[in-house]
Amino acid sequence: MSEDLIDQLKAAVLAADADGATSATSQLLADGIAPSVILESGLSQAMLDLGEQWKLGNVFLPEVAAAAEVFTLCTEIVEPALLADANHRVGVRVMIATVDGDLHDLGKNMVVAMLKMAGFDVVDLGTDVSSDDIVEAVRRDSPAVLGLSALLTTTLPEQRKVIEALTRAGLRDQVAVLVGGAAATEEWATAIGADGYGQHAPDAVRLVRELTGAPAS
Amino acid sequence: MTSGEFVNPANATATVSGRRPRTLGHRPHIDLLDTEELDRTHEATLDVLETTGIGIRSERILTLMQSTDAIVDMDKRIVRFPRAMVEQAIATAPRSYLLAARDPLFDMLLDRSKGYYCIEGGLSDIVDTATGKPRRPLYQDMVDATRLADSLDEISFLWPCVAISDVPPEDQAVHQTYIQLANSSKHVVAMTTYNERDARTVIEMGTIVAGSSDALRQRPVLSSFACSLSPLTWDGEPLEAALAFAAAGVPCGIVSMPVSTAGAPTTIAGQVVVANAELLSGITILQTLYPGSPTYYCPFSADMDLLTGNMDAAWGPEPVLFNLAMAQLGRRYDLPMCIGTNGTGAKTQDWQAGVQHTLSLMGMLACGDIDLISCTGGIDNSRVFSYEQVMLDCELWDIAALMLEGTPFTEEHLAVSVINDVGPGKHFLAHKHTRAHMREHWRSRFFRSETWAEWESAGRPDPRTSAGERARELVEAHTPEPLPVDVDTALREVVERRTGKGEAT
Repeated sequence: MSEDLIDQLKAAVLAADADGATSATSQLLADGIAPSVILESGLSQAMLDLGEQWKLGNVFLPEVAAAAEVFTLCTEIVEPALLADANHRVGVRVMIATVDGDLHDLGKNMVVAMLKMAGFDVVDLGTDVSSDDIVEAVRRDSPAVLGLSALLTTTLPEQRKVIEALTRAGLRDQVAVLVGGAAATEEWATAIGADGYGQHAPDAVRLVRELTGAPAS
Repeated sequence: MTSGEFVNPANATATVSGRRPRTLGHRPHIDLLDTEELDRTHEATLDVLETTGIGIRSERILTLMQSTDAIVDMDKRIVRFPRAMVEQAIATAPRSYLLAARDPLFDMLLDRSKGYYCIEGGLSDIVDTATGKPRRPLYQDMVDATRLADSLDEISFLWPCVAISDVPPEDQAVHQTYIQLANSSKHVVAMTTYNERDARTVIEMGTIVAGSSDALRQRPVLSSFACSLSPLTWDGEPLEAALAFAAAGVPCGIVSMPVSTAGAPTTIAGQVVVANAELLSGITILQTLYPGSPTYYCPFSADMDLLTGNMDAAWGPEPVLFNLAMAQLGRRYDLPMCIGTNGTGAKTQDWQAGVQHTLSLMGMLACGDIDLISCTGGIDNSRVFSYEQVMLDCELWDIAALMLEGTPFTEEHLAVSVINDVGPGKHFLAHKHTRAHMREHWRSRFFRSETWAEWESAGRPDPRTSAGERARELVEAHTPEPLPVDVDTALREVVERRTGKGEAT
């Protein structure tokens, strides 16, 4: 019975059916299914399946983005129960933000969607985030990886500012920093002491895996 | 376009047979000539046909023409055509008819509503897939190339791709026709049928496939064409073959391919007059002796390289202008037409090949609603057959077909509610509307747009390499619809009887 419902949940996430997915999630919780099972066998598995289809070229980025939104809605339902569940395993956490002064989030959102699809626990700080706020969030959530996006050449220096602020706060060696966005380059990443640079969303997933030793799906 | 049900053909649901013929829709034409110029060109052609006439190297046809309104000089072997006779022939030729295919999905109704693409014919060499160098084609090459053509939805009908070097030249047409019929269910053009004996054998083969002579008339699964010798001459045998096809009710096109400066005046207008005179002479002979027999108007162009005298089928402005003028004449006569595109002097799939094929294709689109469009797969001035070129030409054809489809501007496609829904500063990536319509986007099989680093790590692949790999995959994997066993046996018997053996050794 619960297996059928898990399958329904997966199908709803794959189809980016928000109503279907959230109601299946709530029903599974009500049926007493462990939140870690819902997350792993249902939600995360759906995203992994989506990733397989994306690799084969059967699924496009808009479908990934839409499924990732549904995935987020469902994880918000599961989260309180998950935190109360002593047996849950915390995956690799990745934090991401578009830097101060930059409102562009399309690329960042693609990266978020791809990371979620790859099974990472993503904390999305949004756009136009100051270096102080980023440092604070890193201190609070202890992500393994921090991704910084900047589209504009004018906001690019903010990536350097964040790294400097992390260093001053004594947090730099606790978190790997990746930079991306249209304005960034490999050379820039090296120059500011970042741990990696990705040109597009799949690059980000590859780099996070390399940096954290997380297995490829 | 008003339909709310626009479906990108690239993503449309496959038909029952799993195939989707990719044809060209309506093409708005460009008129190169104004009315006066068009009249003047037509009159000039009639003047040539009436005053100078056409050389015909066939006693039989000269004799037949003596009993018509034509003025025949038996000594000089010249036929002059009074204008009324030519006008009458143009009026007698059928406006539309069917070129059938074994698979009815690939039937071609020549009525100016669609444009059909074909594979090259009779090329003397083929690029060897192992060495990358040209060599003489073998029997198996013709089989492979025909299978590739059968597998591609962009290709609607088949010329015999290559000249087979391991069969005697006199058996060429019979072997080619067998290979075409046995390895494809698309319409077959037996274009190397150069004499009446070949024509009779090919007609017999068509009759076997169709089921009977009447069935072949109703659904001609094969056809042929006859080509003049410029300037102003018909060799006897091809024309006698054309008459044999006409007698059997099998469509036979009339082709002229004057090389400017050599076989025609160096001016485009003069080249047009020579081509038009040759085409109308062939059509007049056919329609006078076999009124109503299905034929088409088929001008091809080539230029002479002014320095070397080489034939240059490479596309610059001249062939485009030639085609525009010829298409305008064909439209005036309201005849089914075939015109050529895709000439290149390039030896590989480089900038030159890409530009010449693209320009010639765009020029062809401006010719309007041409029924038959030749042809894909040739490089080196239509001497060498290349699998890569077929694949890349089909990619261009695909783009052309979709451009002609247009794009819908319905309420649904204007997406105002979606735009309002998303609002400023957000994105459309995850919107339901995006998922509903994103598969309408054309996706290239061969253009590349990966990052530089990805391109480097993949070994700097180019479209040409991918196209070659895909072609080889298709040749390996594609299984054409086989002929019924009894039909195949009967065809093999015909080939054996004519050639003494079934296949090349």
